Amino acid sequence: MLSRIRTIIRRFTYHRSTRLTSEGLQFLFFTMAVGIAAINTGNNLFYLLLSMMLSIILVSGIVAEYCLRGLEFHRHLPDLLFANELATATLVVKNRKSRFPSFSLNLFDVCDGRDIDRGLVIRELPPGASTLLSYPLVATRRGQLRLDGVRVTTSFPFGLFLKKAYIPLEGVAVVCPEIRPLADEALQDLLAAGQEHSAHRKGYGSDLYNLRLYQAGDDSRAIHWVTTARTSKLTIRETEAESQRRASIHLSLLAPDSHDTEFEEAVAYTASLVHHLTTRGYHLQLTTESSRSSFGQGEAHLFDLLRMLALCERRAPHADIRSETEWFTEPPDTEDGGALIVVRPWRGAEIPRSASPALLIDPETFLGAAYAM
Amino acid sequence: MPCDQALRLTSIGLASVSFIGLVLGASLPGWLIFLTASALMVALLRTGTVNAIASVIRPVPLSATTWNILVLSGFLGFWIDSLWISGDLLTSGIHFLLVLMVIKLFNLQHRRDYVHLYAISLVAILAAASLTSDLWYVPVFLAYLLAGVWTLLLFQLTKDAAVPSAAMPRGLEPLESHSGVTPKLFWMANGLAAATFGLTLVMFFVIPRVSAGFYQKGYGENIRTSGFSDTVDLGSIGPIKRDRSVVMRVELPDRPTHEVGRFYVRGMAFDRYDGRSWANQLSHRRNLSEHPFETFTLRGNQSHQLPSRGPALHQHIQLEPLDTPVLFAAPFAESVHGKFPAVQSDINGALYLPFPSSTRIEYSAVSRPNTISPDDLQPQPIIYPESFLRHFLQMPVQSEHIAELARDVSESKRTTYEKALAIQDHLSHNYQYSLDAPLAAQAHPLEEFLFVRKTGYCEHYATAMVMMLRSVGVPARLVTGFLATEWNEYGNYYIVRQQDAHAWVEVHLPQSGWVMMDPTPADGDSLVGTLPAWHRVQSMLDSARLRWNRFFVQYSAADQLAVVRDLQTGGASVRLWTLDSLTAFLRPLTAAFETGINYLTGGDLTPAGTLAVLLLAGCGAVTWLVWARPWKWPRRSTGAAGDEQAIVQLYRRMLRQLERRGMRKPAAMPPLQFIRITQARWSTAGTAVASITELYCRARFGRVPLTKEELHRAHETLRRLTSLSRS
Repeated sequence: MLSRIRTIIRRFTYHRSTRLTSEGLQFLFFTMAVGIAAINTGNNLFYLLLSMMLSIILVSGIVAEYCLRGLEFHRHLPDLLFANELATATLVVKNRKSRFPSFSLNLFDVCDGRDIDRGLVIRELPPGASTLLSYPLVATRRGQLRLDGVRVTTSFPFGLFLKKAYIPLEGVAVVCPEIRPLADEALQDLLAAGQEHSAHRKGYGSDLYNLRLYQAGDDSRAIHWVTTARTSKLTIRETEAESQRRASIHLSLLAPDSHDTEFEEAVAYTASLVHHLTTRGYHLQLTTESSRSSFGQGEAHLFDLLRMLALCERRAPHADIRSETEWFTEPPDTEDGGALIVVRPWRGAEIPRSASPALLIDPETFLGAAYAM
Repeated sequence: MPCDQALRLTSIGLASVSFIGLVLGASLPGWLIFLTASALMVALLRTGTVNAIASVIRPVPLSATTWNILVLSGFLGFWIDSLWISGDLLTSGIHFLLVLMVIKLFNLQHRRDYVHLYAISLVAILAAASLTSDLWYVPVFLAYLLAGVWTLLLFQLTKDAAVPSAAMPRGLEPLESHSGVTPKLFWMANGLAAATFGLTLVMFFVIPRVSAGFYQKGYGENIRTSGFSDTVDLGSIGPIKRDRSVVMRVELPDRPTHEVGRFYVRGMAFDRYDGRSWANQLSHRRNLSEHPFETFTLRGNQSHQLPSRGPALHQHIQLEPLDTPVLFAAPFAESVHGKFPAVQSDINGALYLPFPSSTRIEYSAVSRPNTISPDDLQPQPIIYPESFLRHFLQMPVQSEHIAELARDVSESKRTTYEKALAIQDHLSHNYQYSLDAPLAAQAHPLEEFLFVRKTGYCEHYATAMVMMLRSVGVPARLVTGFLATEWNEYGNYYIVRQQDAHAWVEVHLPQSGWVMMDPTPADGDSLVGTLPAWHRVQSMLDSARLRWNRFFVQYSAADQLAVVRDLQTGGASVRLWTLDSLTAFLRPLTAAFETGINYLTGGDLTPAGTLAVLLLAGCGAVTWLVWARPWKWPRRSTGAAGDEQAIVQLYRRMLRQLERRGMRKPAAMPPLQFIRITQARWSTAGTAVASITELYCRARFGRVPLTKEELHRAHETLRRLTSLSRS
């Protein structure tokens, strides 16, 4: 019941506005002139012309209102966007009117009260029909992209007035930092220090760790056929975990206001690093002063990390972050091997304590020639 | 046809209609008509309807400066025209407007040129409205409205197509586009035009008429007529007897249609004849008293005191703008009702406006003819005042032949009336009616008519009768006016034309007063009878013209007030009737309601309690309406929306069936995923569920409407699903 009432109230409070077009202004001027002439002369044929012009204005308003009425919108945004990267959003528009079509509709995304022209035009939408409009969406900065609603405008039928309607239609998408290709050479140098450190334990890797008898549930692909043939018992090959493919990346959020650009570059570099290492099969953990992820691998984990990076915010150095989280007392999990990579947008930020050697990336690195051409 | 081509066509159509309006309303010089018509024709051919011609007639490659110079030259020509050639600002303005139209038609390239052309055509149609109020304006206006709506619509559609959005990326074209004028667009545009016309009519009658009249001007020239000035030459009516221009229309609301006959409309009376022309020496005019408002009554009319008065005759007259201030009415007018600043009359009983009207006027008049008193049928001594005899027995120096003729004709008659009848009969039986009687050139036209040619028309007959009567001592005067013979059976009114101009005689009888007599024989004018088809069409058109004039051209604030009063009266009676009907209709219901309430409360419910119950019931009804929204209930429909509703209902029924069998679909689960779950858990129903879900998704989320066969198939599938038992 309440929702019905809310719907009814919302229907009446939908924002409508009307603006005169340049042609409409001229038309109104002529209408006034004819009106003055009719009043001055009392000539009924002037009144007839005046009535015609007023009727055209009235018909214009009524038809435009009918065009904007009964429209239903559904927007679909991708779950994850990347800054400065083209994505496709879709908007489904349905004409719920049973008799009247809608004509000449222009659609705009409304974001922070601003109308964003996506070039969406519907020339005609028959009654009961719906149409799917796809449009390119380019987010210029990482973070949360929030679209408040849709603005529909029409100047149908006579182009004298531009009638606008605002339909609240919230759409939220996370915009990840821009991913840029990294030079392999730079990464080789970067990770060289951690290559010889390996933890001998069972895990996913290529080196042999152990041979044991087959147990139910074991992956048939891991059967060591040579030993099985020799011993006539199903033998499973266990591999040694590749600890050198573990890396923990720490992004420092601490940076003064003057280092905002450096911070954004650091985030973008971290995202590129995460992406680069993930594609090479690394187990990654990402930590910042306010959050930490678990170690993981694969695309889903990559998206989790990117989402973290999309939403992280710079903090001023004097802010007391220890009171918020106690993460800083717990260093990144590098005891089992792997590298700790620290990305600092500001040289004054502290380096976390860790058993693994820290690879420090300062602004000079990611602002310099670290990216591949 | 592509929209831009259609726009060009309708734009030229709009300009053409306004041009036609100007041609019909204003007397334009031939060269200007030819020039504008040629420009319109060239522009029309250039629209590309005939490609071969369009490629030959290319736009004139002139620079913007050249066009501006042409416009300035036209403006210079406008001043020369207004100062030296036509000498009239309005006329020269219209000429300049057409010159601008020609320039714009040759330079129709950009959208702003089209806007300029629309502005010019609007001013042109406005000018045409100021120049005319005739019936031809109706089709011109309708055509202008239709062309205007089409033009505005196409202008808007082509604007959208011409100005793509700035954010539109390359390659991402609109899904649909108005590439041309489709049948749907055609009917929509015509529908919009019809709606606009309907609203125009409503607005026209509703807009308050505030005629400040700071600048009022008549249109066109007044109709030139003759016979209605203080001095009238004998034979001056003859030339206008060939003119078919309508001068007035007279309705007789009290007279039945079958009683219509020759109808005399009196204008002026003349008392002095000098042998070649008539003069009204009793032309001193005095204002008539106005009581009540806008009703002017004649006082001191001699005939008022006479006992032998005929029945009152009410007339409603629509008078075209004439070059005389005379107001016409049937003899003898008693009162006139109309929106006039003043009405005057002279001793001869003629009615006048202070000045000739430059516009068509409407007024009502009440007349009462004198009948012959029985006393006048007996011989009796007659004593007239000397001043009366000086005017109405006046005769010019003439030959004795006229007096002798009069004596010969009337010597055997005893009474004045008999003498008058005898002279009337003599003239009407012994002389021939002909408009080809060049008597005006004669030195003694009357003698020429009576004794030589014996051929003439109404003026000669009437003058001869007056002179003959006066020669035998009977006071008489000549009257000019119109003799209406054309009855419009479609509008039930007389059409009075210039050719109906007439002259007759008024004879004074001692007891009856002035009595009308007409010695002119009928010239064979058909009154009512078998009319040719073209005449009928003409009558219908004239009837439409009368209505157009009454309901549109002459529509005024007074009419609006009258309509409001009628609506108030009608509204009150309709309200009472509705209340009575509603009470009668609801009586059984209210009685049942009261019985129910009495039964529930034991009959001791106070009126306040009843009111409270009623309020509660009302609130309940409103709550139910808000909750159930019956206007949203599915309706029988054959369209796409109806199909969608039908398949949605089917899908819901299927879900209910599955829920009864233990398979509930969570709200958040997509339909396709639910199919997989159903197939896994109840394989026999999987196909049926998949089939219905597929149709549901197609109609609900896609744009493909379902066919009747598909809906029928879905029904069958659901029926089979219902009959399945789950193991």
